[in-house]
Amino acid sequence: MSQNLINANPTVYNTKTIVRKETEAELDDNIEDPIDAQEIFDLIRSISDPEHPLTLEQLNVTQFNHIEVDNEKNKVLIEFTPTIPHCSMATLIGLCIRVRLLRSLPDRFKVDIKVRKGTHQSEGAVNKQLNDKERVAAALENNHLLEVVNQCLATASLRGMEVAVN
Amino acid sequence: MPRLELLATLEGHQDRVWQASWHPSKTLLATCSGDKTVRLWAPLSLTDPTQWQCVETLEGAHKRTIRSVAWSNTGNELATASFDATTGIWEYDRDNWECAATLEGHENEIKSVAWSATGALLATCSRDKSVWIWEVEADNDFECLSVLQEHTQDVKMVVWHPKLEILASASYDDTIKIWKEDEDDWYCADTLTGHQSTVWSIDFDASGEHLVSASDDETLRIWKMYKPNNPQGIPTHNGEETWKTICTLSGYHNRCVYSVSWSKVNGYIASVGGDNSVRIFAKDVEATEDEESPIYKNIATEQDAHGVYDINGVSWFPNKTHGDWLATVGDDGMVRIWRLIE
Repeated sequence: MSQNLINANPTVYNTKTIVRKETEAELDDNIEDPIDAQEIFDLIRSISDPEHPLTLEQLNVTQFNHIEVDNEKNKVLIEFTPTIPHCSMATLIGLCIRVRLLRSLPDRFKVDIKVRKGTHQSEGAVNKQLNDKERVAAALENNHLLEVVNQCLATASLRGMEVAVN
Repeated sequence: MPRLELLATLEGHQDRVWQASWHPSKTLLATCSGDKTVRLWAPLSLTDPTQWQCVETLEGAHKRTIRSVAWSNTGNELATASFDATTGIWEYDRDNWECAATLEGHENEIKSVAWSATGALLATCSRDKSVWIWEVEADNDFECLSVLQEHTQDVKMVVWHPKLEILASASYDDTIKIWKEDEDDWYCADTLTGHQSTVWSIDFDASGEHLVSASDDETLRIWKMYKPNNPQGIPTHNGEETWKTICTLSGYHNRCVYSVSWSKVNGYIASVGGDNSVRIFAKDVEATEDEESPIYKNIATEQDAHGVYDINGVSWFPNKTHGDWLATVGDDGMVRIWRLIE
């Protein structure tokens, strides 16, 4: 099995450093907290990699610094970094991130998901497909694909609090 | 300044709505949705354009999203294009609409369907990169005349010339292609390049000599047809007409433009997209000095026309009865009817 993996021995990164600490203002229900990059990162950091029992954060696929949020203008831009430049899972990983945010964020947000510049050999093609809402809609009507996506998202609610171990 | 007045909001679809299509002669609108249905909408009375009802729901024939819906020239048939890779042909039988035929052949999602001006031909296009031309025969029989495979990517939309048997198709490969027939053989007569990303939508003007296109590159382009030996000296090849961009509308929409409609009544262009806005453009007749590079101006804009949601489709009323009416459909599952007040 392992010799069929696209990236059999990925580098695993230490993730302990950034676990969100809630501020006093956030605990106060009377204060409205704008959605920020940390919130978005928490939503996607614990999505599982499609072929390893590791999170996207552990593989450095998603990074806090590569998320831009403009709460006022309802815009989110996420750049992710495939583990290897010819990763054939890149579109699937991007799709998982998109579905997670479709399900979690308020409808007002327009989300753009892109491969981090220079990290994938088919960067343009992957980006175009991930941001074509018609193709995303069609993909999500594919039950097999949806099952795979749901599997990757099963750990997403951990929000970095715990490491998934198989 | 002209403005858009909201006449009615039609609720009923259970998922995002993809396209709106007006009946060629009646005050009747067909809309299609991710909820796998087509709904037909009509005003309760012909004197009050603010009260509408869903008069019919067409369902059961498609297993997946219905992406596109089109009336035949007589308005007696409807064609539906679905992600389930089939095209449905519906007709009114005694007292309800029934799916009378299902056209199969495409390998995957069908993105658009359109009838030719005479109703003799039907075109479909798909993510399988092909455009199919069907001949409409008696008794809901359809014969595939041609499978056109020159696009290199997903084909998003097909639209027929308003008078002639000339077809235009728009694609994820960033181009538009013009298709013509030569003794039963369909061929690509021209490829229109210029857009920097997916071309989502195209529409001819009333004369069929101009085409407008809408793209993910956030622009609209207006193209003009030049015949061989044209007085402007535009070069043509192989005795074919050639199409050239004569105007680019950029800086208006700031996200993908999903749909464009060129009114056959007043000549206005309406466009909608992922920036939640509807924009109306008109040719600035006074400022235009040269017909080969006309100036178009944005005469009306409706921001957040479907709230925070993407707007997927826009369609002008096809004839003079309500030439100032516009239908829009969005990711919010709503259908909206607007009137342009000048």
